[in-house]
Amino acid sequence: MPTSALAKKLLLFTGVGMVVLLLVGFIFGAVGSAMFGTDMFLEKPEIHLPPQAIFPASTRDEHLGLLNVEGETEGHVTPLGATEIAVTNTLLSSWFTTIVLILIFVIAARRRSLVPGRFQGLVETMIEGVLGFASSVLGPEMARRTFPIVATIFFFVLFNAWLALLPFYQFLGFTQDGEIKAHLIRSAGTDINLPLALALISFVFVEYWGFRVRGIGYLKKFFQLGKIFRGKPSGLIDAFVGFLELTSELVRVVSFTFRLFGNMTAGEILVVMITFLVPFVATQFVFGLELLVGLIQAVIFAGLTLVFLSVAITREEH
Amino acid sequence: MVLLGVTELGINLPSLIAYLVNFIILLGILTLFAYKPLMRMLDERTERIRESLEAADRAREEAASAHEAIQEQITEARREGQRIMDQTREAAERFRTEEMDKARQEAEAFVERARADIQRERDSALQEVRASFGDLAITAAERVIRSSLDRTAHESLIAQVLEEGETLRRG
Repeated sequence: MPTSALAKKLLLFTGVGMVVLLLVGFIFGAVGSAMFGTDMFLEKPEIHLPPQAIFPASTRDEHLGLLNVEGETEGHVTPLGATEIAVTNTLLSSWFTTIVLILIFVIAARRRSLVPGRFQGLVETMIEGVLGFASSVLGPEMARRTFPIVATIFFFVLFNAWLALLPFYQFLGFTQDGEIKAHLIRSAGTDINLPLALALISFVFVEYWGFRVRGIGYLKKFFQLGKIFRGKPSGLIDAFVGFLELTSELVRVVSFTFRLFGNMTAGEILVVMITFLVPFVATQFVFGLELLVGLIQAVIFAGLTLVFLSVAITREEH
Repeated sequence: MVLLGVTELGINLPSLIAYLVNFIILLGILTLFAYKPLMRMLDERTERIRESLEAADRAREEAASAHEAIQEQITEARREGQRIMDQTREAAERFRTEEMDKARQEAEAFVERARADIQRERDSALQEVRASFGDLAITAAERVIRSSLDRTAHESLIAQVLEEGETLRRG
């Protein structure tokens, strides 16, 4: 343990070092380059919205424009076709997240004891946090029954976002002329297929519980046709309300998808651009922001799923 | 054109299916190997803590009641001791009174008997004296009559008689 005087000195040195690094970064970044004409520390990054194929290599080279095409001096990047099969960098990162999650939780479960150590305490805190959150929305009984899906969504979104802040996400990739054309792994949240998959799972999960708890009567919420058949004009309003309910149920999938996709993609672009503008230190603040955004997105995704679930399993009173 | 837009966004069916399968596998593994055992352990711990607290409460109650019982016993013993001492003291007192009464009665009886004896002795002595006194008087009278008018003789006679009487009395 450093003494308080030593700690103060360390803090001072670190602080001064950070400021110096920030200034160096400012001068040699894109901003400084424009102002003082210094050499740029980093090349201007290319932003690709769709994920890039990594395996098989032929597909990768084709889509990265690395193949020598007749009549063209430089290949151009093309997105993967809608049904083309390839392992993308975002898929790799989702596998990475999956493996990390399995390691953390299964190791914690394997080494569990009634008197927990630090690691087990941490994992238990996470589990109890999600369970408490679910209980506050659904009540303890339903929270326990739906816990696995809600928790897996939460932890997957959270760890996916946080792991993407690790440096090797940025510097591992396939290059051409010293320039990274495609990163080996890239945050899965920036691939619209992942938010879409999670949104579909959330949707199916909510509808499944709706039918399970309320039976076939769950459909009455969407097809309120009883009054029309009895010839009442106000039945038209009911039918329209049902149609709105049905639409909102489906639109949720889209909103779920684009909320997560947008946040993750924006985060990635922000990190890349700030690093390009001021290479050192400034990114730390963005990383802090991204940690918060990752947590918020995980809470929102899991929380909205819980709320929609609680709406689906509640019989409305007429 | 629409399809192109979809691919520009990155929509890719195999990827989507891969993510879905990936998630379901993750869900299955975590549920089976992590959530269930961990939840069971958390429940077990909750149960254990609740039991421990209850046991502690019970032990505290038992200790309190045991303490009370012991206190009760001590009080009871003290009361018993007091009672025995009281009894003993009372018995001693009674014994003393009885003995004293008995002694007094004996003494009184003795005194009474002695008094009666003395009375009897005195009565018999008086009787005797009275009897011998009569005799003496008669003897003296005889003598007086016999040697009349001799004053000195009379006096010596009387003295003689008295002396005899004295001797008689003493004897």
